[in-house]
Amino acid sequence: MDKQIFSVLIIVTVGLIALLVVRPSLTASREGKIFAFVALFILPIVATVYGAAIHLEQSKATHFCLSCHVMEPYGKSLYVDDPSYVPAGHFQNNRIPRDKACFTCHTDYTMFGDVNAKIRGLEHLYVYYFKQIPKKLALYEPYNNRECLHCHAGARSFEETSPHREMRAQLTANEMSCLTCHNMIHNVADLDKAKFWKGADE
Amino acid sequence: MTEESPRLQRKLKTAGWLIIGGLVIEATTLYWSNPTSFLSFIGAGGLLVMLGIALYLLAIVSR
Repeated sequence: MDKQIFSVLIIVTVGLIALLVVRPSLTASREGKIFAFVALFILPIVATVYGAAIHLEQSKATHFCLSCHVMEPYGKSLYVDDPSYVPAGHFQNNRIPRDKACFTCHTDYTMFGDVNAKIRGLEHLYVYYFKQIPKKLALYEPYNNRECLHCHAGARSFEETSPHREMRAQLTANEMSCLTCHNMIHNVADLDKAKFWKGADE
Repeated sequence: MTEESPRLQRKLKTAGWLIIGGLVIEATTLYWSNPTSFLSFIGAGGLLVMLGIALYLLAIVSR
């Protein structure tokens, strides 16, 4: 829907500018000057800002992250047929939205978390095109429990089960990582030995 | 109603073409969802639009 609105906005703007290009003498009158200001200044800025917002929203999509070659094994790991794989278990059981799987777990749930995630994405692009991609990919900093607790906090299956209940304060304070116990993450090094789920779409 | 100078009209036309070019690139990149399309949106489309707008503003303040 957003793309359709954007397309209409672009068509209208291009049409109005084309009219000015064909008949620049229109700007001789006061109304013409206002018309030119709207067509050559206001509408292009509105279209560009709107387009950028759509692009930023699109960049949350799983297929967007996996369109980079280096991310392919991480995408593949979402289909491992083993519930101990944390990302696969979340993805296959709809605990996270499948169409935003990467973003859901790899954004920071803070005030500027989305912005930081986008900035990191731009850094990845820079490295992808202009620098050497590291052989082993790693997080910038240890995975923060805050990201897990964003969804799990308050959930009965989490709060009332042992040992979550006993170590709730430590988990909240990030003194004990969730990944200490739930330590089977993407594990891309062993993907060649893994069995894969065929997927709901197939 | 006063006639605009040919120089101003030429600048407006150039600004118009730059913005049209930028908007067409922006629209194209939106139907191609990967990181390179975002770079093209900003680096090519956005740049042309901004150049066009700058030229337009320059034209109207310097006439």
